[in-house]
Amino acid sequence: MQTEWEWKDEAIVARVDGRVDGANAREFQQGLAAVIKASAGAVLLDMEKLSYISSAGLRVVLLAAKELRTQGSKFAICSLSASILEVFKISGFDQIVQIYGSQDEALAALNG
Amino acid sequence: MSETLALTVETKPEELSRIAEAVEDLGSRMDWPPAVVFRVNLVLEEVSINIMNYAYDDGLHEFEITFTAEPDALTIEVVDDGRPFDPLSDALQPDVDAAIEDRSIGGLGIHLVKTMVDELSYRRERGKNRLTLVSRIGE
Repeated sequence: MQTEWEWKDEAIVARVDGRVDGANAREFQQGLAAVIKASAGAVLLDMEKLSYISSAGLRVVLLAAKELRTQGSKFAICSLSASILEVFKISGFDQIVQIYGSQDEALAALNG
Repeated sequence: MSETLALTVETKPEELSRIAEAVEDLGSRMDWPPAVVFRVNLVLEEVSINIMNYAYDDGLHEFEITFTAEPDALTIEVVDDGRPFDPLSDALQPDVDAAIEDRSIGGLGIHLVKTMVDELSYRRERGKNRLTLVSRIGE
């Protein structure tokens, strides 16, 4: 699992790949903490290369969403696999985080 | 064709990848679709993490996972000798409709398990927790 990020206009796009589970969720949290610190307005978490996430990873996503909300930044997630989208829906996370089908769609909404 | 596989797992998070490998190997032998492998991985991680984090006060312990894979169903039994815990009645019920400010993560893992398996049963027997999960394949 790795978290990489880059600027696209006003938004930071963070990409996480591989598996996020109970053994490495802390690394994921550290990766996102750096993103949150650098951000100024909007963060997009791209999950296209993410193959697996459990509640340990959802916890990190929830904490990030709360922190970004507190600092007044926008937050969205994009490109979830069908299985990961199901996990988000069962958890009710689709109601607290904006989810988009593609990075382009998400960036249009965040930068628009 | 059916297959039984037993794993002895230690209560440390590094074991999660070994469990995931076992699930993936079994899934490829049984020809499960990727979505089934994902679900089985997830429910087993949530149950295992719960045991690792809450079943014992301290020290390293072992628990058992037994898979019985048949073409149309997978039965998983998880047995530990930690403190009694019935996920069907003892787990926190998360509010999955709460606003973001009020959202907490407690109970979410067990909520995922309950939602993603087809049958879930619990027994406390001779000082052990016995959790049985059934997932039907191909529905």
